[in-house]
Amino acid sequence: MTGSAASQPRRLAAFAVPSEPGNERLALAMVAEAVTGRGLTAARLERLKTAVAEAAMNAIEHGNHNQVEVPVEVEVLQSGTEIVVGISDSGGAAADASAEEPDLAEKLEGRQNPRGWGLFLIRNMVDALDVTTEGARHTVWLTMHTAASGAEGAGQ
Amino acid sequence: MKSACAARTRTIGAASVIELSGEVDGSAAETLTSAYQRATADGPARTIVLDFAAVDYINSTGIALIVSVLARARAERRAVAACGLSPHYREIFDITRLSDFIELYPDLDDVVSRLTGPAG
Repeated sequence: MTGSAASQPRRLAAFAVPSEPGNERLALAMVAEAVTGRGLTAARLERLKTAVAEAAMNAIEHGNHNQVEVPVEVEVLQSGTEIVVGISDSGGAAADASAEEPDLAEKLEGRQNPRGWGLFLIRNMVDALDVTTEGARHTVWLTMHTAASGAEGAGQ
Repeated sequence: MKSACAARTRTIGAASVIELSGEVDGSAAETLTSAYQRATADGPARTIVLDFAAVDYINSTGIALIVSVLARARAERRAVAACGLSPHYREIFDITRLSDFIELYPDLDDVVSRLTGPAG
């Protein structure tokens, strides 16, 4: 996490969703509600929403293997000019299995699976992506700078 | 998971239009595949237009479905165009390079006039 040490993070929301396909939309909506009015432009809010949905989907499918009784936990923090969203599953380090870098030309020629865009989208949507693992707890941290930081073009 | 995606197909001039609505995610596979089959049922090579104006959500598995449609169309020597994308999803089409292979138009009127105009 890249939060400033100078300012104490403020928790905007903390919740859990069951690991059921489609619940990434629930996580997305709850994060969007939590960060509304916190300085993200509309375009950057859309980027964060896409990143949250993809990270939550990864947590549901690859981290918790669609086990409904194992929750995906979401925490939304604000620290200075940073919005930080943590999305945790119980997949441990295995959930970090590195995905092949997607190459559209290769996919169109059938040399890569058409899927495999999730992590790529996350990386391109947020200003910083960090991953922590503590035992089985695996957390993806998504950081977006608010408009006040003047980082509108960051993350490209 | 029940699909929240619907598709309507129609022919406009030389183009077969697939009008999508709702959510383009993994659950949309059957909807999109069936729509493509209807859109190409007449056989002759034509442009396939994907209209996203009524789509409010596309995720990575939806992108994969679009890649599959594009791959199939290219194998059948059909061009693919798209319209109605929000600025956010247009950005995602750029990031994924889909916009290198799919001609993008602001809306359906624009793409139809381009494809059915005197030069089309």
